[in-house]
Amino acid sequence: METRRRLVRAGSVLAVPILWFLLTRLGIVAGLPTPTAVASSFLEEFYRQDFWLSVARSTVRVLVSFVVAAAVAIPLGLLIGRYTVFADLTFPALEMLRPIPPIAWIPFTILVLPASELSIMFITFLGAFFPILLNTIQGARGVEVEFSRAAQSLGAGSFQTFRHVIYPSALPAIHAGMIVGMGLAWVNLIAGEMVAGGTGLGFLTWSAYTSGSYPTIIVGIITIGVLGALSSALVRLFANWQIGWREVESA
Amino acid sequence: MSTVEQVKRRFGAGTVPLLTKRLRQALSVVLFFALWAVLVRLEVLGFGRFVGPVPALSTFVSALLGAPMTGSGATIYQHAAFSAMRVVVAMVLATATAIPLGLLIGANRRWEDALFPALEVFRPVPPVAWVPIALLLLPTFRSGVLFVVFVGAFFPILVNTIEGVDTVDEEYLRAAESLGADSREVFRHVIFPATLPSIVTGVSTGVGLAWITVVAAEMIAGGIGIGYIIFQAYRLLQTDVVAVGMIAIGVLGYASAALVYRIGNRLTEWQTID
Amino acid sequence: MSNQTQTTREPTMEGEPTPEKTGAIDIENLTKVYDPEGERVVAVDDMDLQIGAEEFVALLGPSGCGKSTVMNCIAGYLEPTEGEVLVDGNRVSGPDPKRGVVFQDNRLFPWKTIQENVEFGPQMNDGVEEGRARSILDEMGLDGFEDAYPSGLSGGMQQRAELARLLANDPDIMLMDEPFSALDALTKEIMQKKLIEVWERDNRTVLFITHDVEEAILLADRVVVMTARPGQVKDVIDVDLDRPRDPEVVTTDRFTELRERALSVIREEAQRALEQEEGEV
Ligand SMILES: Nc1ncnc2c1ncn2[C@@H]1O[C@H](COP(=O)(O)OP(=O)(O)OP(=O)(O)O)[C@@H](O)[C@H]1O
Ligand SMILES: [Mg+2]
Repeated sequence: METRRRLVRAGSVLAVPILWFLLTRLGIVAGLPTPTAVASSFLEEFYRQDFWLSVARSTVRVLVSFVVAAAVAIPLGLLIGRYTVFADLTFPALEMLRPIPPIAWIPFTILVLPASELSIMFITFLGAFFPILLNTIQGARGVEVEFSRAAQSLGAGSFQTFRHVIYPSALPAIHAGMIVGMGLAWVNLIAGEMVAGGTGLGFLTWSAYTSGSYPTIIVGIITIGVLGALSSALVRLFANWQIGWREVESA
Repeated sequence: MSTVEQVKRRFGAGTVPLLTKRLRQALSVVLFFALWAVLVRLEVLGFGRFVGPVPALSTFVSALLGAPMTGSGATIYQHAAFSAMRVVVAMVLATATAIPLGLLIGANRRWEDALFPALEVFRPVPPVAWVPIALLLLPTFRSGVLFVVFVGAFFPILVNTIEGVDTVDEEYLRAAESLGADSREVFRHVIFPATLPSIVTGVSTGVGLAWITVVAAEMIAGGIGIGYIIFQAYRLLQTDVVAVGMIAIGVLGYASAALVYRIGNRLTEWQTID
Repeated sequence: MSNQTQTTREPTMEGEPTPEKTGAIDIENLTKVYDPEGERVVAVDDMDLQIGAEEFVALLGPSGCGKSTVMNCIAGYLEPTEGEVLVDGNRVSGPDPKRGVVFQDNRLFPWKTIQENVEFGPQMNDGVEEGRARSILDEMGLDGFEDAYPSGLSGGMQQRAELARLLANDPDIMLMDEPFSALDALTKEIMQKKLIEVWERDNRTVLFITHDVEEAILLADRVVVMTARPGQVKDVIDVDLDRPRDPEVVTTDRFTELRERALSVIREEAQRALEQEEGEV
């Protein structure tokens, strides 16, 4: 029974390349690169330094932007979640900016920031920032009053209460935000690289389209997908490790 | 103890007059615009090359009055209509496919085994990455953009629907069965309503992603729409129009999020009542 | 109406002549093993128990001894690993509206109003009878709350609403898994009275799971005490107190005797359960 289920699930995954093969073989989708063409293009790319440079660039951009976003959004979210006055003074301004898709900032960042590297990273940062911020606020607000009261009664100061009560209680929500944030970091990174050009997997994929080397588009998509899945797994791993006392919900 | 009390205590009761909540919130917005103006005036970083709030707002007003954007001659309304239509059509397609599919996958193990792993193969790919292949394969440019926006909205709705079904408390199903419901009735009276809050969450995440994707696709692929305007204005160095585009997309994004929120609240009314 | 329902009910209707009383439960050699291919948790081991039609039986036992498992097998939620459960001579093969269930944390549908909840059973079966839900709700002291959602009710009211939902379906058997354990003492007393009232009037069989020895003796005709896991019947206590029993009955000598007997069995089993756990760790 269990093995049968596994087989069906494996079959489901295998159906994707098989379908792809059939679609190209029977010419159902005109212009779709064949699996073999993509495979050989993959091999080619594998030996090109440029490809690995793009991989490295995109990965570093995502990781750095994500870490910065978390480092800013978590403390900010905890403060906004716990102090109404602070929230009133900061949140409305942030709420004005939030509905603007990060990618829409790209012309602004190119103009204002000194390096194009920074402008792409800022876009990626924004992608991760708001989900983490919102979830942290929600998490901080959800902490039961009794917990912080208990801590205060046991002699904790306000910093200690934050450190030992509010932050850990908000962790599951923060992690949920981080998982969403990582996904959005990739979305905006790829968009940024496609729009701003230069380097990175987004650019590689887009320029493959403009230069007519179509199989490389799919090489790019697959690589981006794999890296995206890996980084989501990384966030989950980190969340599990950090929590320990509570299973993180896989979103 | 309320925060107000805490702050009062900290500053010595009543010595610092606290603004009312409304005023503080208004102050936040005012400070934002002031900061923007100051940064531009002092030319911090490259802010000197960007437009300040006053000219940006005045261009926004004239755009609202129907002045054509950039060289193309189309008004902001035309661009907004194009972007909004793309989002609306993509959302309709995405909800119409992702919700039934999610319910099916969530409620039926066979369908889950058959479909979910295959869909999972595509999920980690950010929707924007599909832009080149969509432009390559789909007959028209517009359908390419639409497809990408659809993909952006599809997965959050699908995943949330599945998760919603998975987390329906089994005892509700048991209760319904013990009251005489057959599997179709259980689905209709228990699984679907119990999943609605997750579906609403999925749809609101989906709308957010649809807007990101539509702006990105329009920027990359060009043509017409707010994303296009923002990037075209940047090429022409009309930074006031860049700002107007950002404001417009923010307003649209906000309005659509609010709409989804209201509809969602209406549908899950039973949750909020205390 | 569900197919399951029909298959389990038909034999009673067509086979033997309809018995005068319905709702007899016959548990025969019931064994339930969770996770049979993995950890093999034997929750219930070869248990036998007969519950007469229209009898009120309380099921007592240390935590984790398999009480809920037994109830879930009777309700038809779980398939016995071995043995079977018969209701009026028919093998239980799935849930059935003739066997109503009250869950520990109430399982009113939060997305339906109280009235919609109460009308759910009739709607699934013979159809809704105008005004019936209202009269049941009145009886349960819930008039005025028809259009409220469950989240707007207090815990006691929710439990009453769930009882109302059950009664609207007119089941032969009421299976109740620690229904009042989350209520405060006063609400609990009111609910107990209500339950007895309903039971005496409508002639239903009740299986009532509880942790509370006094509650068991106060309510039941017989108190079944289970052993620590794997669960079996350890002792059956006939409660020979006259009905109606008012709350003062707890001060009588006979009540004290019965309570002491039940408690001593439970203590023994609880101690055994504790040692078992320590052994497992
Ligand atoms: N689905 C399951 N899988 C594995 N073990 C289970 C499962 N359900 C219950 N058990 C185990 O079976 C035993 C009996 O469980 P059951 O819920 O019937 O006990 P109970 O007497 O109702 O306990 P309580 O008084 O705590 O409600 C317990 O040890 C429990 O841990
Ligand atoms: Mg139990």
